Amino acid sequence: MNITGLETLVFGVEDLAACRQYLLDYGLHAAADDPNRLLALDGSGVELYPADDASLPSAPNGCQLRLAVMGVADEATLQAIAEELGKDREVHRVDGRLQSVDDAGFAIAFQVSRRQPLPLIGEISNAPGSPIQRVPNQLGVVAGREAIQPRALSHLVYFVPDLAKAERFYVERLGFRVTDRFDGVGPFIQPAGSLEHHTHFLIGAPAFMHGVEHFTFHFGGPTEVIQNGSRFVKAGYQAFWGPGRHIFGSNWFWYFNSPFGCHVEMDADMDLHDNTWRPRLAPLGADASQAFLLRRRDNWMPGPGTPENGDYAN
Amino acid sequence: MPKSPTVPNCHAQPLCHLSELGEGSARGFLPDEDGQDRIFIVCHEGRLHAWRNACPHLAGAPMAWKRDAYLSPDGRQVMCHAHGARFEPDSGLCVHGPCLGQRLESVALHISTSGQVSLADPHLTCSV
Ligand code: FES
Ligand SMILES: [Fe+2]
Repeated sequence: MNITGLETLVFGVEDLAACRQYLLDYGLHAAADDPNRLLALDGSGVELYPADDASLPSAPNGCQLRLAVMGVADEATLQAIAEELGKDREVHRVDGRLQSVDDAGFAIAFQVSRRQPLPLIGEISNAPGSPIQRVPNQLGVVAGREAIQPRALSHLVYFVPDLAKAERFYVERLGFRVTDRFDGVGPFIQPAGSLEHHTHFLIGAPAFMHGVEHFTFHFGGPTEVIQNGSRFVKAGYQAFWGPGRHIFGSNWFWYFNSPFGCHVEMDADMDLHDNTWRPRLAPLGADASQAFLLRRRDNWMPGPGTPENGDYAN
Repeated sequence: MPKSPTVPNCHAQPLCHLSELGEGSARGFLPDEDGQDRIFIVCHEGRLHAWRNACPHLAGAPMAWKRDAYLSPDGRQVMCHAHGARFEPDSGLCVHGPCLGQRLESVALHISTSGQVSLADPHLTCSV
């Protein structure tokens, strides 16, 4: 199945205005035709509805994520998915999307990809010997730069009560590949039409956790993640974990609490893998999960005018 | 989560005045150097309840999603915005979510006759 990745997450929320402002401050922008559709630069994003909107599919356990929409390469893939899933469940078309449900009880949908191509380069660091450098006079950091915008919807992490069943669905029915696995926790999975280390991560969890752990967008590089995350903290949002860099996937991360009942991450620079990659297996632990973890502080500078002990004085 | 280093000169400093805490509201106090408040106070049915900003689900995890945003959308429960645990605002008991049956850690308050709210044990300021 030529599934290319996640394109839209549909949420039903209790405080729509707060959720919307959160995503705007995170860096998404509102679609021209719908203020409650918040987009990354490539057009992927989040749709917000009131929790009691009757048109939304149901979700387990009060989970606010009501639908995860994936992109596919073409109409033929859409047909193939309709046939495959039609064998044992209801599949219907809504707004050009093919909608059904996965084996963990989450509503899913597919659409011919609507992502816009992004003619942008990522963060480039100058390193001695590297043939690719920033051109002379191009700056690595622009302190007062305007809004930092996420580039593309990245991945979604589900808590699922029956891990084996959920994994079988994505791997055997939809053709996802396992790229890496945390022992006793779950697999990172990648659809056949994507090279990203993961677009989904499945975590086996008790029934009362059934829901979403986090979702995240890709930023242009680590500087954007940390600069944007620092602004987010200054705006009053509450960091949960990070900034740091994961080992599986190599992505930079910074996780924040959110009004969505799950974490929201900012990420950058994830590994790509093709089908020659052999999945790794690691026991979950602090050292397996991150190469390093940093801790944010208010800006300060040693020098004249700094109190004795610098910022540490207070 | 590591304990924050000692905060000098914080003894018995009033956190706020009673009149600043409206019924059904919550507010965080004593921010650490990460910008996370160490405690928060909920005003529920005319009484103040102070809790450590530390979810029992993952030891020490901060609970608000934005500064002072410690309550559920309907304002009736304390909520951890990491994984959605909900707590009774007066007993601190988790009634929904991954730490069901566990409790928030309470922090004793002192309210002066003039209505200044401070920690009952000023040394706590330095260790929560
Ligand atoms: S850390 Fe609070 S619910 Fe998980
Ligand atoms: Fe992630």
